[in-house]
Amino acid sequence: MAVYKRGYQRYQGPLTSPASRLLVLPRFAWERLMQQRLISILFIVALFWPTGCALFIYLSHHLDLLQGMGGAATAKIFDINAEFFFIFMNAQATFAIILAAFAGPSLIAPDLSNGALPLYFSRPMSRSTYVLSRMLVLVGVLSPVTWIPGGLLFLMQSGMAGWDWFSANWHIGAAIVAGFFFWILLVSLVAMASSAYVRWRMIAGALVLGIFFILAGASELANAVLRVEWASAFNPTRATLQLWRALLGLEPFPGPDEYECFAALVLMIGLLAAILNRKLRPVEVVS
Amino acid sequence: MTPVIELDNLRVKLGRREILKGISCRLGASGSGKAIGLLGPNGAGKSTLILTLLGFHKASAGSARILGLDCHRQSRDVKSRVGYMPENEALIADMSAVRLLRIMGELSGLPSRVALEKAHEVLFHVGLGEARYRPLGTYSLGMKQMAKLAQAIIHGPELVILDEPTNGLDPAARARMLKLVLEMKNDHGMNVVLCSHLLRDVEEVCDEVVILKDGAIVHHANLEEERRANRRFVELEVSGDDRNFAAALSEHGAEGVNEGAGKWRIVLPPEIEIDTLWRIVGRESLDVQRLTHRRDSLEEIFLKAVGHIHRTAGDSAAPPQEVATNGRL
Repeated sequence: MAVYKRGYQRYQGPLTSPASRLLVLPRFAWERLMQQRLISILFIVALFWPTGCALFIYLSHHLDLLQGMGGAATAKIFDINAEFFFIFMNAQATFAIILAAFAGPSLIAPDLSNGALPLYFSRPMSRSTYVLSRMLVLVGVLSPVTWIPGGLLFLMQSGMAGWDWFSANWHIGAAIVAGFFFWILLVSLVAMASSAYVRWRMIAGALVLGIFFILAGASELANAVLRVEWASAFNPTRATLQLWRALLGLEPFPGPDEYECFAALVLMIGLLAAILNRKLRPVEVVS
Repeated sequence: MTPVIELDNLRVKLGRREILKGISCRLGASGSGKAIGLLGPNGAGKSTLILTLLGFHKASAGSARILGLDCHRQSRDVKSRVGYMPENEALIADMSAVRLLRIMGELSGLPSRVALEKAHEVLFHVGLGEARYRPLGTYSLGMKQMAKLAQAIIHGPELVILDEPTNGLDPAARARMLKLVLEMKNDHGMNVVLCSHLLRDVEEVCDEVVILKDGAIVHHANLEEERRANRRFVELEVSGDDRNFAAALSEHGAEGVNEGAGKWRIVLPPEIEIDTLWRIVGRESLDVQRLTHRRDSLEEIFLKAVGHIHRTAGDSAAPPQEVATNGRL
């Protein structure tokens, strides 16, 4: 029967499991994000660098294709090691920030600015589930430009270089996945907290970029003015890079070590979680 | 039968201020399809009570149960059986009604395909069928109210909590909203909690009413019984010497209060018919200027409960403040 002809009937059938409901918001959000041309363009642009890296890995195993270039020098340039993957991660981290700045604020800001949170929280959905659902949206958006291409590049290199290379460098693969997951967590929380704080999409997007790029400048300024090095720990990008270098087994940057950087990042994550906890309430209570 | 709402010495503090001051009551019966009206002046604690029932506020003492489930400890179960229509603007402006309802349906546990079907079905039911693909931001106030109602009932809840559903509606839209609410309880067996400051809405729809004032329940009544009880309430205006009229009334077991200028308020006992009153008036040689069988409206019950009008003769109930303090209903 046509839907307009049948009257309203109460639904009394089986319900879906609470775990499967966790993907409801991400599913609708991904669909909506992929309809935005800017996001699609950013997404494609963010895959240029991994494609270039894949080509680089391929060439490193087919140096005979580059016969015009000097043998030993070329081999050194095309050495695929932890430094290579660090450079790859560094570039993709920037794309992740830009994508999060454009995609992130549209997740929470509309709910807050339209007062829609009571609609969500009057359903079997807690605040933590809501945050997790929204975070899954960003995990879904950022994964294809971070750990997935990183992991594929690692597998590609492992496949071409053989078992010996893999057994000597498996930690690089683990570092790519763990490092990017930590980065996604940080970037997602920044994007969500920004949109929860300012509620206006454009400003929230600018704030996401500002937090990463202005904090970088501010920490360098603090280092220069106070003649210290510890302020670098409060530059989230720098602190994460230091952590990644430790995970990849590379020489650390000068300044705070990986433990200090990790502690600073955990502090930032705690602060962002506190902002979300403060802002994401179904009703605001004025004491 | 399990009561729809059961409050046991419920206290809620917001900041340092106590909003709900130890209220206790049992309202409705699960599956009975009855409507409970929640009334009270501004700041009485109606919204706080609703938000506490939904688990948005935590009780500082006592407990609140919906359909036998603790609102705080079993919040997830409660919410899957309840639909909530908030008072304030809550619709995402750049989203279509179908999309919003699909999301809300799926979040309530409907399978994806069912949620889509139900979204269309409910939107046609509330009269938004033609506008269901339009962004919600382009809706009129009346349409937004209907969309909010639709999202509250998409999953077929056992209890629907409506916070000021007729706010800002024109008379036609208001009538349509009330008709839908009546259908919800009469045809679909849903229990309804209607929070409103519009007494006529509550009177038209509700079977039970709770009146809150200053965070306490000052009156809890079965509206049908209240209506029956007040049919014996008469307002009389006479000219002539009415000095002996009170005594004449009491001879017949009726009670009358002279309000001056020949105006009387009379409560007739059930066995006395109105003809008796005419006979008393004739015997006292009084001329009747006006006689009204005053059907005590909800407005009078409300004003009496919140203490805005004096208590009238024959009203033997305890004063409202005492009721509140004792927590007895």
